[in-house]
Amino acid sequence: MDLRFSKEDEDFRSEFQAWLAINLPQEMRAPEFWRGKSDDEQFQIRRDWEAGKAEAGYCGIQWPTEYGGRGGTPTMKAIYDEELAKANAPRSVNPLGLAFLGPTVMAIGTDEQKRDIIKPLLHTETIWCQGFSEPGAGSDLAALQMKADQRGDDYILNGQKIWTTNAMHGDKIFTLARTSPSEGSRHAGISMLLVDMHQPGVEARPLKQITGESEFGEVFFTDALCPTAEVLGGEGNGWQTAMLLLSFERGSSAIGQYTEFRHQWDLVANLAQQLERDGQKAAKDPVLRQKLAASLVDLECLKYHSWHILTQTSQGKDLGAEASMTKMMWSETFRKVSDTYEAVLGTAFQVPDPQPGLSLEELTTMALWSRSCTIWGGSQQVQRSIVAERVLGLPR
Amino acid sequence: MKFQLTDEQRALQDAVRSYLRDKFGPQQIREVYDNPDTDGVPASLWKALGEQGWLAVLVPEAHDGMGLGLLDAAVIARTLGAGTVPSPWLGTILVGEAVRLAGSDEQKKAVLPRLAAGETKGAAALLPTGSLTGVPATTTNGTLTGNLGLVEYAGVADTLVVAAQDGLYLVDPADATITPHASLDRTVRLATVVLDGAPGERLENSSPGVLEEVLDRAAILAANDLVGVARKALSDTVEYDKTRVQFGKPVGSFQAIKHHLADLHLGITMAEHAATYAAHAFDVDAADKHLAASIAKTKAGDVASEATGAMIQYHGGIGYTWEHDSHFYLKRAKRLEYQYGDASQHRERIARLMLDSA
Repeated sequence: MDLRFSKEDEDFRSEFQAWLAINLPQEMRAPEFWRGKSDDEQFQIRRDWEAGKAEAGYCGIQWPTEYGGRGGTPTMKAIYDEELAKANAPRSVNPLGLAFLGPTVMAIGTDEQKRDIIKPLLHTETIWCQGFSEPGAGSDLAALQMKADQRGDDYILNGQKIWTTNAMHGDKIFTLARTSPSEGSRHAGISMLLVDMHQPGVEARPLKQITGESEFGEVFFTDALCPTAEVLGGEGNGWQTAMLLLSFERGSSAIGQYTEFRHQWDLVANLAQQLERDGQKAAKDPVLRQKLAASLVDLECLKYHSWHILTQTSQGKDLGAEASMTKMMWSETFRKVSDTYEAVLGTAFQVPDPQPGLSLEELTTMALWSRSCTIWGGSQQVQRSIVAERVLGLPR
Repeated sequence: MKFQLTDEQRALQDAVRSYLRDKFGPQQIREVYDNPDTDGVPASLWKALGEQGWLAVLVPEAHDGMGLGLLDAAVIARTLGAGTVPSPWLGTILVGEAVRLAGSDEQKKAVLPRLAAGETKGAAALLPTGSLTGVPATTTNGTLTGNLGLVEYAGVADTLVVAAQDGLYLVDPADATITPHASLDRTVRLATVVLDGAPGERLENSSPGVLEEVLDRAAILAANDLVGVARKALSDTVEYDKTRVQFGKPVGSFQAIKHHLADLHLGITMAEHAATYAAHAFDVDAADKHLAASIAKTKAGDVASEATGAMIQYHGGIGYTWEHDSHFYLKRAKRLEYQYGDASQHRERIARLMLDSA
């Protein structure tokens, strides 16, 4: 048992902290900075900031140097995530490309794909969307219907994708489509295609979420074109490619999530010391004290769990289905902290500014956002089945 | 960054496990269960605990102990919990900890070597019944008075450690009125202890800080026992539900059951992390050690309660019979869940630590 980081890791932390101190202006760290700016403006600011960060070499922390990464360790990646969260840095504009597409291309892409995709991805020159879900294929991904018929050197795509993150900002989309009839297995005949979103046959429409924002949208394909060379992992291997792609989430330690949610908890605890409940501060209410403590218990457990994950990945172990537990834990803990926030506010949850000088817009948005995290990327129910069957070994 | 047990700690865990598997399994537990009038300390078990050094783990080498840390003791506690093992192990460890932390050199010399060897047994009365604050005894002119409530293994103890308003005291059980009392969890023996002007030997370096430290250590060891109980309850249930067939399928294939078992696995895993970290936090004197102790006890109590209840539920009718081992786990969890502060009391303590200091 030794919870200290190595000198190299601590040096990296200091170096990155110093870079952030200079290159992440204080006003950008405050929630007010983003208020009143349009979705497009916000996205552009984030994109530019991330490009600058990449230019300075703070990108692709665990990616090999030959692809423009830093060639770092899982611990360095965890430190990087933690420091970004501590600094309240803007969210990445390319979360799905960085988490999923990049590692998959490095693993099984052609030389051309590696050359064309990796660097523009790291430097936010290309914003990548993930086109997996369809109206009839959410948790049951293999029910997907989108068609891709080959005609000469192109596939002609027809179908619809939905709940697509950054749909309105995407340049390209890695998407699953049926390139041949599924013979016998629903997993057969699927290919992963890399499609240009800037063409007449592709139309993105925003979907308004319960927060009022449109972080995701729908993408309609009507005779859209995709060159046959733009298949990732080979024609007909789409299901296997998708499973490989999703497996790259496994290494995530969740330390970034812990840092972010712990900051949220600290703000909620602070609110409880300001707001009144039954003639005293909410922080004195015995039931709210229990709730605040209970959510802190799970938060700290999430931190210990992230140390466990980091220990395993640093020793080169593949977490396998255990990664589902990490997803379950951070998303449930986020919900619990958000529930606590709502309970501390009580009737004040209905308004963005319950007291003069107290603006809760971002915390309320965050509380609502927590509702999505137990759905996307494999719903809580799907994760439970994975843990039950593949970790505990219970029968299907 | 290594958040895992050392090779030595894993070897210790294996040694305790092997001993229990070979020498003190369900049959031996059942004998203790079905004979509640015995002293609840099987001689061969107690001898082994002493010989193997499992009572000496926290005693400094200068006093014939092993001089290891709380995490090493936690490894033993967790394994004893998984085996629902009886014995005054915890009480003996806690008397040792009180003397190690609050005793003078003479007091350590007099008490620790004998505890470490298993020559004497200890019992601890550190809190008023049902409380996580206050002390159970008061002192006047060097004598102690108070109803200490139910004390584990007071009937077999050679030394009692008692918390009073001005410190920790060693009391000779011969100077107390000790009345055996039936216990729901029969992997323990209980007795009520009443002191009425009993002589006591004050541990010379006692302070409120030391008492808090001993209480935290007690809570952490109880938490580790509880996660051992919870993990074994879950793994036995999973194995049973893989093979128990109803409606033509193994019941473990039904989502109503498997999803709950998955949730329990997650919860127990987190409680294991918390119980491990809390012990380590005391070994390195971490800034958040008091918080960590309360987190561990809260999480362990909650998951052990749920897992042992689920064990009965997902074994169906057989799980409700005396013949099945389920009730060993449920009853042990119910005992330890409320000991050294229950989940709500520790959450309130967390609130005090985190909200009231500001």
